[in-house]
Amino acid sequence: MTAKAGARLPTPLVYLRTMAVFIVVWALVARWTGNVALLPSPLAVIDALVDLVRDMELFVHAGISFGRMLISVTLASALAIPLGLLMGLSRTLDAVVDPTIEVLRPISGIAWIPLALFIFGIGNALPVFIMTYTAFFPIVLGTVAGVRSVDRRLIDAARTMGVSYRTIITRVVVPAALPSLLVALRLGLASSWTAVVAAELIGAPSGLGYAVEWYRELLMTPQVMSFIAVIGLLGYVSDRAVRALATRFTPWAVETRADA
Amino acid sequence: MSATAIRDLRVPGDRTPGHAWPWRGLLLPLALVVLWQVWGMVSGNVRTPLPTRVLAAAGALIASGDLFSGITQSLGRVFAGFAVASLIAIPLGLAMGASRAVERNVDPLVESFRPIAAIAILPLAILWLGTGTAAAVMIVAYAAFFPIVINTIAGAKRVDPTLLRAAATMGLGKLKTLRTVVVPAALPAIGVGLRIGMGVAWTAIVAAELAVGAKAGGGATGGIGQMMFVYYAYSIELNRIVVCMIAVGLVALALDRLIRLGMRLLMPWLPR
Repeated sequence: MTAKAGARLPTPLVYLRTMAVFIVVWALVARWTGNVALLPSPLAVIDALVDLVRDMELFVHAGISFGRMLISVTLASALAIPLGLLMGLSRTLDAVVDPTIEVLRPISGIAWIPLALFIFGIGNALPVFIMTYTAFFPIVLGTVAGVRSVDRRLIDAARTMGVSYRTIITRVVVPAALPSLLVALRLGLASSWTAVVAAELIGAPSGLGYAVEWYRELLMTPQVMSFIAVIGLLGYVSDRAVRALATRFTPWAVETRADA
Repeated sequence: MSATAIRDLRVPGDRTPGHAWPWRGLLLPLALVVLWQVWGMVSGNVRTPLPTRVLAAAGALIASGDLFSGITQSLGRVFAGFAVASLIAIPLGLAMGASRAVERNVDPLVESFRPIAAIAILPLAILWLGTGTAAAVMIVAYAAFFPIVINTIAGAKRVDPTLLRAAATMGLGKLKTLRTVVVPAALPAIGVGLRIGMGVAWTAIVAAELAVGAKAGGGATGGIGQMMFVYYAYSIELNRIVVCMIAVGLVALALDRLIRLGMRLLMPWLPR
């Protein structure tokens, strides 16, 4: 029965129906549990969310985390995109730098947290460092892959026509590498958003990760869930934003869902 | 991917004798290590981590067995959580990929929870399951679930429709079609999902153990992340922290290679 109904209803309605079922189940389980600290009802969470919005606390923490992410991804891009371009173009540079990247890459940003706590202390620098580190690798590797995937014939054609080296880079290589670069940026954004929560949970006096942990210690679970929802929402929105950029600037590139 | 695509186009001044010096990749890491050692000896104090001290600490940690027991404890949690995630994600992903109706109805849930980082769930996991292994396993399972399910869906959808029609023509039932047509076609994608999921799971366990150590006042959780936190907060041994970081990297690499190898053995028909 659901099969037929699902095939006819428009997608937004199916979405609403699924989420409605989820919320009803959640409400029933919450009522059965009967413990606000353990599992608050959806209404309690909405209540908490409204309170957090009203006294601006939500926006303060969200703004801080989001700002840190923007700074980190900008920093990471500023380092990784030029490096990736050069590595994609020069086999020597690639051979020299790539092993170092491959040695560092498996060490997750999160594993740097204890050492970075020592170097930077608790504050803004720690989450920014961790996130920049985390975002760096997908961006640099994506850029290298993008440059490598440039169609040889395009470059040969440009060379035949006597196009200068610089123009080949700016007019052939960069545009051709752009789709892969934007995918890399998305991956970098997503992984740095994961890292911000971990970094703030452990070593920052502010931000969404800090707020989640703060309210857990107070056993104020509705607030914990509100902040978790905001973390998810912001992650989703920033991913959508980069996707929108990608369709705006590289409308020819087809994207699949499995590339995340 | 064509690695040789633009061999001709070089940065000015870049000489490319194809097989110049095979060991040049070691130059930069070695230079960095030497720089680190010199810089640390000039400007550091007794606690500054130095390559030589890290080596000594690594020797001590390996000899005492602490490093191995920490790693095995973390690995046990990763495998448990990973198994839970696979057992849920693969059947669900196959169902979602094979049936449009299932996908439309379940996808909103998957897509709503996917952007929520596993670490963000940690406070809830601690609240529900305490600071022990159960919470860590839940975090790992949550983290690994999404890459596995999404790649499985993509794999199941990539089945050649001609094969499906052929199976239908020959009167194969739904389950048998799934088992003999959809699953084999989806296997490579599932393998990719498992590999990504394993990487995410290992990152998540380190984060979870670190955070539990940091926020639950130590706790008797154990594991490599917990070890790092103890060295940070209680005994202040930076060299040992660096040893743990290297170990985390090596295990991540080993897990990745293990799954790649498994895929190649299971699916020898794949390119590379």
